[in-house]
Amino acid sequence: MAYVATRGGERAIEQSERLYREDLGRIDKTRVDAIAKSMPYLLDRVMGEASLYAPELAALALAQSGGDLYEAVLLLRAYRTTQPRLAIAEPVRQKDLFTVRRISAAFKDIPGGQILGPTLDYSHRLLNIDVLNGADFVPEPVEQAAEPAPATQPSLADWQKAQGLIADFQSEPVPLEEIPDVTREPLLFPASRAHKLQSLARADTGGTLALGYSTMRGYGNVHPTVNELRLAEAPVRIRHPRGTIFSAGRVRISQAEIISKAKGLQLGFSATFGWNEVKVIAAASLDLASTQEKPHPASNEEFVLYHTEPVEASGFCIHFKLPHYVTFQSSLDAIRKVKTDKPANKAAVPQADAARQAELEKAMS
Amino acid sequence: MKLDQLTKPWAAFSYGFLDESAKREMRRRILKAIAIPGYQVPYASREVPIARGWGTGGLQVTLTLLKPASVVKVIDQGADDSVNASSIRKFLRRVSSAKETLDTLKADIIQSRHRIPEEKLREDQILVLQVPNPEPLRPVQPDMSEARVMHGDADYGQLWLTLYEQLVRSGRIMQGSSYPSMVNGRHVMTPSPIPRWDVPKMHMAANLTILSAGREKRIHAVPPYTRVEPLVFDDVPYRVEDHADKTCYRSGAMGFFMNELPQDDGSSSFEISDSQYGVKHIQRREGEAVTLGETYYREGRLER
Repeated sequence: MAYVATRGGERAIEQSERLYREDLGRIDKTRVDAIAKSMPYLLDRVMGEASLYAPELAALALAQSGGDLYEAVLLLRAYRTTQPRLAIAEPVRQKDLFTVRRISAAFKDIPGGQILGPTLDYSHRLLNIDVLNGADFVPEPVEQAAEPAPATQPSLADWQKAQGLIADFQSEPVPLEEIPDVTREPLLFPASRAHKLQSLARADTGGTLALGYSTMRGYGNVHPTVNELRLAEAPVRIRHPRGTIFSAGRVRISQAEIISKAKGLQLGFSATFGWNEVKVIAAASLDLASTQEKPHPASNEEFVLYHTEPVEASGFCIHFKLPHYVTFQSSLDAIRKVKTDKPANKAAVPQADAARQAELEKAMS
Repeated sequence: MKLDQLTKPWAAFSYGFLDESAKREMRRRILKAIAIPGYQVPYASREVPIARGWGTGGLQVTLTLLKPASVVKVIDQGADDSVNASSIRKFLRRVSSAKETLDTLKADIIQSRHRIPEEKLREDQILVLQVPNPEPLRPVQPDMSEARVMHGDADYGQLWLTLYEQLVRSGRIMQGSSYPSMVNGRHVMTPSPIPRWDVPKMHMAANLTILSAGREKRIHAVPPYTRVEPLVFDDVPYRVEDHADKTCYRSGAMGFFMNELPQDDGSSSFEISDSQYGVKHIQRREGEAVTLGETYYREGRLER
């Protein structure tokens, strides 16, 4: 045949995918398990952005994408979207969280106490080069406290509300099936509280940090303080068709309350799957900033929620690799025509306007 | 009655990938979009296994419309063998038993990025256009909620003004592709980034066109036999790309939208952008029995 075989493109894309996968090599259960075991915080980040709590699937997604986070999130999201929703869990209350870490920067001590829990905050960031030379790093054993910390902790905001320091918004009970779900409905503005917190929960960690940091630095009028930061395991409680409530397991969650001292005390809130402190602090700051009067454009609700959506943002960014030669040709035609039409346009301009035309052309060039 | 009689065997994915609740939502949104031509209907827009911005909106529509007996054609920039068109076709093959075709005349559903085929579409065909940005007002109002209000008020003054400014500054309207167009005399829509050459094909077209933006979660439609009028001033005619007298160096066809191919000697040669239409010309020249459909343009001029 004299014309191009139309399957050329198909073969090319198939081979390029093979090339990528060949570099990653065989993926077996051992590799997936090793990822899950050695990188819990990476799994947490991916599960949060995917809004799918499934450590094993998250590890598989990371194995399949070779650690490309946006690819891993898309893999999980595309899987999640096809899954039926079998049940809606009972609401999780702060006082029911199995809290492993809970700190407040607003008070020296708080009811229930400051619990540091696991953190690298005060570690010295030194590479253990010796590991590369064969000397394994064996973590030192944790010494038990004299008294174990209580498994659950009260909410600091409850104390502040009781003191009349922050407004106590009465929440109306919503039947579980009527809780809005941003993965099943379009996000419209002004966004409902549920859609906003859900969008922040699945937002891109890096994007949330960039915008959150901008409000913290001064592009916004909030002066954030961490009111309460928690890492916890939340019990997932589901109602059996017969009516009894049972536990279907636990999920790791993080949540942050950021308090502003600008005009009275106001709270910003964020929670997400997995332990990801940077994200919830940044997201809670954005929540707080976006509810202020005339927020800075970078903390405007629509701006924040659209631009921190990891799958949409990364997808659109890489889509510019696709051919655009039709649109380019269309613009090229218009640009060329301006040149060829120029003499004709000049003739059409009355003498009195000639100076103005020259000025316009100068501005254009 | 036993449980296994009431259920289906477990399968990793539904027919056509999307689950039934997603398809039902899509159908409802599509019906609404058809009922209000050119109006952008928000939809949930599920993630699909290709990246956002790569045709996820068009893909969700195609997946919803697909039946086992459907015949589908997928093009990107007019070409069936473009890498992303190949990828989408491959995915459709994976999740449905629909047939594929390269021939515009044989397709029930045509999913396209940036082009409308040169051969006239019929009443029994559906054109699905991939849309990167569904909002024609974006250049004058980036805030989507504000833009929604402007559509509600049919407040298109700022859009007219930008066109007028282009006219004053450059002596012509500089909008290349995505030419804003009034649908059914009410809503201004983007026809998606198709060249100006293709916009008149939508006017009073026999086929249904569904335009879907997956990333932006908006769907709009042009039902059959609906007015689609590019925004133009009474005294400044609408101008399509100057391709009327260009000849395809491969097929010899003349008077269709072309790809410009820069040559080593500084000149350009041209090939027909609707790749399969070009292929059909070559096939006919070589004596094969092919049917060339009626085209919107004849000798570079629009048929009316």
